[in-house]
Amino acid sequence: MPEAPLKERTASAEEVELLARLRAGDERAFEALVDRHYGTMLAVARTHVSSRAVAEEVVQEAWLGVVKGLERFEGRSSLATWIMRIVVNIAKTRGVREARSVPYASLAPEGQEAAVEPERFRGPGDAFPGHWRAYPGNWNNVPEEVLYERDTLRVAMEAIAELPPAQRAVITMRDVQGCRADEVCAALEVSDGNQRVLLHRARSRVRAALERHFDG
Amino acid sequence: MAESHDHVSCSEVVELVTDYLERSLPPEEAALFEQHLNFCDGCVWYVDQIQTTVETVGRIEPEEVPPEVRSQLLAAFRDWKRS
Amino acid sequence: MIAYKFLRPDGTSVFTRYTWPLPDDGPGPWVDAEVDPCRSGIHACRRADLPLWLGRSLYEIELEGEVREEATKVVAPRARLLRRIDAWDESTRDEYTRMCADRAHELARAADLAGWDAVVEPSVPEGPALLGFVAARIAEKISGADAYHAERRHQADWLADRLGL
Repeated sequence: MPEAPLKERTASAEEVELLARLRAGDERAFEALVDRHYGTMLAVARTHVSSRAVAEEVVQEAWLGVVKGLERFEGRSSLATWIMRIVVNIAKTRGVREARSVPYASLAPEGQEAAVEPERFRGPGDAFPGHWRAYPGNWNNVPEEVLYERDTLRVAMEAIAELPPAQRAVITMRDVQGCRADEVCAALEVSDGNQRVLLHRARSRVRAALERHFDG
Repeated sequence: MAESHDHVSCSEVVELVTDYLERSLPPEEAALFEQHLNFCDGCVWYVDQIQTTVETVGRIEPEEVPPEVRSQLLAAFRDWKRS
Repeated sequence: MIAYKFLRPDGTSVFTRYTWPLPDDGPGPWVDAEVDPCRSGIHACRRADLPLWLGRSLYEIELEGEVREEATKVVAPRARLLRRIDAWDESTRDEYTRMCADRAHELARAADLAGWDAVVEPSVPEGPALLGFVAARIAEKISGADAYHAERRHQADWLADRLGL
């Protein structure tokens, strides 16, 4: 069933102000912009190029494109979307040229991927099929210091680093960077439905990694 | 759509959770989802785990920009400023 | 329209955690649905819906404005809590749980469903909402969706009768 595209929102008031500072040549504003988007741009580049080194080159090239395009940027999309689109376009070209690109189609979620191993639920022949065999843990019992410690963050970061590229790009844009769904869809050229599937799979994998970590 | 019109199972809930949190579930499915959470502590804890996961990921700091990259980009910015 | 609403013991909504102004020697103040626009309104139960939403505290709620009737709840733009239904207390909850457990046993044993029967007692500590589901689900296993609905109707009748609704 064809999905209606998410209505893309334009640049916010905060962004309009940032743009003005950038166009005025404010170096600190530019540095802050780079810091804020660099990691996400890498994740987005990796949806089309397979090596980290090439992705870094793509991102640098993209920043040059951002700088050159600052005057012309009309604010019809958010800054993040615009920046990521530049990354995608450069990455696609690089990927094709290298003939080692991640096929574009793989940005759409492939096949099935269970959020939780099926064995953890009662089987079709059991009483109450589909229900937990044993409940998952109640993380309200995990001490706050543990939730907030560096180790926990590291586990989440490692889990994200191991995700397939499309899932990594979506969770990085949505949950690390805090972009909206419509920004992700516009930047990565995926439908809202596909974006949600990728986000779902990514979050499920990271949750599983954290569960293994907390369960010791 | 859920397997039954009257209830969802835990294995369905763990697949619906993202759509529920995104408020993308159709009203009938959202109602079944909530009815299930109303009696199933296991799934309440699972949804909480997902929310904790999102919060944890939200605390990840942006990736460090390598110093050489930073200076190259700043140089490009200054060049653009001058022209 | 008069309907019903379950809240957590601290007076917050089960899913939104909205803190309801509670009735105190008279109805509570009117609440408008803007409190959580994404929720499309204030949710409440009709008598028939009670077994599906069992919670710790039960209130009578008055709904105002255009009330939308959905399969298992009603949704309104504006509402106020009229009174707490004190009869829904710990002992009634236990009675209901036991009623559902007995029904579940009766159904499962008559149909020789030992595996299903074995889940009943261990579920009892988790309370009335779970046991209501267990009984209805066993009924459904034996005789299909109609039996599920019939069991839920029986549960709703028991509640309405016991709570004087």
